[in-house]
Amino acid sequence: MKRLLFILSAVLICATTLLASDATANFSSANQLYDEGKFSQAAKSYETMLNAGVVSPNLLFNTGNAEIKSGNLGRAIAAYRRAELLAPRDVDVRANLNFARNQVQGGAFSGSHWDAMLGALTLNEWTVLAAMAFWLTFGLFAAMQIRPALKNILQGPARGLAVLTVLLCLCLGVAANTHFSKQIAVVVSPDAVTRSGPFSDAQNAFAVHDGAELAVLDRRNNWVQVADNSGRSGWIQDGQVEVLPAI
Amino acid sequence: MAIEKQAKPMTGHYNMAVVKAFFIATFCLLMTWAAGAANFTASLDRDSIQLGETVTLSLTFQGGQPRNVPRPDVPGLQIVNAGNSSSFSFDNGQMSSSVVVSYSIAPQQAGDFTIPALTAEIGGQQFTTQPMKLKVSKPGAPSSAQINSGSELAFMRLIVPEKTVYPGQVISVQAQVFFRDDVQNMQGFQFTALPADGFTVGKMVSGGRQQAQIGNRNYTVFPISLALTVLKPGTLTVGPVSASVMLITGGQNFGFMGLVGGEQRQVALTADPITIQSLPLPTQNVPPSFNGAVGDYTMTFSAGPTNLAVGDPITMRVQISGHGTLDSLTLPNQAGWNDFKTFSPTSKFQANDGLEDQGTKTFEQIVTPQNASVHELPAFAFSYFNPEDGTYHTLTQPATPLTVSAVAATPLPTIATPKQPAAENQTPQDIVPIRENLGALARAGTPWITRPAFLALQAVPVLAFFSALVWRKRTDNLANNPRLRRQRAVEQLIAGGLADLNQFASENKSNEFFATLFRLLQEQLGERLDCPAFSITEADADNRLISLGATPETLNSLRELFQACNQARYAPVQTPQELSAIAQKFKKVVGELQNLKT
Repeated sequence: MKRLLFILSAVLICATTLLASDATANFSSANQLYDEGKFSQAAKSYETMLNAGVVSPNLLFNTGNAEIKSGNLGRAIAAYRRAELLAPRDVDVRANLNFARNQVQGGAFSGSHWDAMLGALTLNEWTVLAAMAFWLTFGLFAAMQIRPALKNILQGPARGLAVLTVLLCLCLGVAANTHFSKQIAVVVSPDAVTRSGPFSDAQNAFAVHDGAELAVLDRRNNWVQVADNSGRSGWIQDGQVEVLPAI
Repeated sequence: MAIEKQAKPMTGHYNMAVVKAFFIATFCLLMTWAAGAANFTASLDRDSIQLGETVTLSLTFQGGQPRNVPRPDVPGLQIVNAGNSSSFSFDNGQMSSSVVVSYSIAPQQAGDFTIPALTAEIGGQQFTTQPMKLKVSKPGAPSSAQINSGSELAFMRLIVPEKTVYPGQVISVQAQVFFRDDVQNMQGFQFTALPADGFTVGKMVSGGRQQAQIGNRNYTVFPISLALTVLKPGTLTVGPVSASVMLITGGQNFGFMGLVGGEQRQVALTADPITIQSLPLPTQNVPPSFNGAVGDYTMTFSAGPTNLAVGDPITMRVQISGHGTLDSLTLPNQAGWNDFKTFSPTSKFQANDGLEDQGTKTFEQIVTPQNASVHELPAFAFSYFNPEDGTYHTLTQPATPLTVSAVAATPLPTIATPKQPAAENQTPQDIVPIRENLGALARAGTPWITRPAFLALQAVPVLAFFSALVWRKRTDNLANNPRLRRQRAVEQLIAGGLADLNQFASENKSNEFFATLFRLLQEQLGERLDCPAFSITEADADNRLISLGATPETLNSLRELFQACNQARYAPVQTPQELSAIAQKFKKVVGELQNLKT
C-alpha cells in the first residue's frame, strides 16, 4: 500500500512538473509571437493555454495585451477582468484594463464603490482574513477561560478582535453574495445588438459596442439579459458576450 | 268586552285595505315606469373628425338593465370600451334609470364610416338604433389666417434651416408645437407620422418651453429637434409630420389637489411638408483621402513610440472634432503604408449635444514597421466635404520621423505630439508591456467558503472555546464546593486504595491490607456523612447511614468489613483468597455508599 502511494505521488509530481515546464515553454512561444508583432497568433496561443487549463494572472494579462493589440477590445477587457479576479491589486492589470476601457465607445464603465472596495481582495483572501480573525477571537476567549489571570490583559484585544471579526464576516458575506449572484457581461462582438426579447426576430433594444461591460440580469437558453449603466435592458446572444463574476 | 270584540276586526280590515292600496299603487307605478321609460339610443359626440383624433360612442339604455350590450365592429375603426355609468332620477313623481356604455373610437384611416344599427333587449323588448355616419378626414395644417385668428387650440410647425443639402450631411429639423394659453395640461404627445424619405432619422431632443404671441393669443411653444442625415441627392421631402396629444381645458385648479374637472380632448396636429433640395457631391477635385465625411472638422494627431524595433507596435491616435456624422465616421485608407502592418482601429465617440451631430471621435490604430529601412511614419490625411462652402478640405499631419532598429529590443515608448503639448492627466498612450514569466499558476476550483471541509474546520475554535468554558465552570464549581472537592478526592483515594488492596491481597500482606481497608472505610464514610474520617464509629455510621437510605444489606456488609478489620488486629493471618474476597466486598460496599444521596 505504501509502495502504491509512493508511486502515485511520484507520478503526480512528475506530471505536474512536466505540465508546468510545458506551460512555460508555450508561454514563451506566445510571448515570442507577441514580440514579433503577431498579436492575433499570440492571442490564439495564450487562449490555447487557457483552454488547456493553465490559469495565471500573467497569462491572462498577456492575453489581454495580445487581444487589445489585435483590435479585440472586448476580449481584452474580459481577459484583464479575469486577471483582476486572480490578482486584484496588480497595478499593471488595472492600468491596462483602464486603458482598454477608455477605448470603448458609448460611455465608460462605472462599477459601484462597494464592488471596487470588495474587489481589492479575492473571495479566498476575504475568507482567510475572516477565518483568521475568527480563530484568533475564539482563541483569546478560550485563553481567558483557561488562564483567568490573563483576563485583564486579553479582554480589550479580544473585544476589538470580535468587532473586527463581525465586520470581516459582513464583508465576506457581501463579497460572496456579489461573487455568486452578480455577473458582468463583456461584449466581445464588434456589432452586437441587444433585443427586447430572447429571440432572434425580437425588436432591437439598444446597440452596444465591443468592450461594453453590462450587468447580467437573467439567462435563458443561449441568451443573456443585460442592462447598461443608464438602466436600459435587453437580451443579447451569449456568443457575443463573455460572462464573468462581478468580483 | 263586546266593543273590544267589534273593534279588533274593524282595525284589521282597515290595515289590510291600506296594504292592498299600497301594493296596487306600486304595481301601477312600476307598470307605468316599465311600459313608458324603456329605451335604447346610440350617439357620437362628433360626426366629423381628423385622423389621429378619437370620438366617443355612447349607448344609453333607459328603463332597465340591457340583457346584452352590443359592440359595433367596423373595419378601419379601432373601438375600445371607455367605461360604463348608471343613474337613477325622480322627475314629477316618476322614477327613471339609465345605463350608459361608452366606446372610444380611433380611426385607423381617413374616409367615411358607418356605424351599423345596434340592437339591445331591455325588459324583454327589442330596441334598435339608427345607423350613424362618421367622417374622418386627413389631418391638415391650419392656415396662417386660422393661426393668427387664435382659433387653434394647438398646432405644429416644422422648421428646416437648410434648404440645400448634400448627401451625408446632418441637418437639424425642429418641430415646434404650440399650445394656446387656455390649454391647462397636455398628455401623451406622440408623433403619429414622421415621413422623411431620403433621410436617416437620428436622435430626437426636446428643448425648453418658450412663450410666443400670435395674433391676440399667447401660446406655449415646445421645440423638438430631430437629427436627419441626408441619404441621396434629389428633391427630398420632410413631412407632413403629424402628432396626437390629449389636451385638457376648462378645469379648476385647486392648488395642491391639482387640476380637477375640465374637458379632455384628443387633438391631431399636422405640419405641412417641406421640400429640400439635395445636391450631389462635386465630382471634381475630390481628394484621394476623401471617404465620405461631410461636415466641418478639425484633427489632432499623435503617434508613438518613435524609437522602436522592427515589429514593435506604434499607436496612432487621431481625434476628429466638429459637426457632422461623427458616429459613422471612419479613418480613410492611407497611401504609403506598404512598409507597415496595420490593424483595425478602435474608436470612441463623445458627443457634445443630445442630437449627437457635434463632438469628438477618437481613433486608435496600431501599426508595426516591417523592416529597419523605415524612417518615418507617412503623412496622414483626412478629407471632408464642407456643405457650408461647398468644397472639399483636407487636414494633413506631416510625416513623423521614426528610428527603427532591426534588433528586437523595445525601448521605453516616447509619444510624438507635434501639434499640442501633452496635457496632464492625459489617457496613457499605450498599454503596460507583457509579462515574461508565467508566474504562479492559479488553482481552479470552488472558493473555500463553499467547501464543507473548510466550513467544518471553523467549528474547531468554537468547540475549543466551549470546552475551555465548561472546564472553567467545573473548576470554579469545585473550588467553591468543599464537599464536592472532598468527594472527588475520596473517589481518587478509593480508586488508588483498591489497587493497593488487591496488591496486598496477592502478596498476602494482611496487616497492610486491613490497615488500608480501615482507612479507606473511614474516609469513605467520613465523606458520605460529612464528618472527619477519624471520628467515625460503627454505631454512629449505622444510624446516619439509615437516614441516608442505606439498605440493610449494605449496612451488614459494612459491619462485616469493620469486624474483619477488628479481628485482624488479633488474628491477622489470612489467605490471599480471603483477602481478595474482602477487597471485592469492600468495592461493592463503597459503590453502594457512593450512590447514596447526601
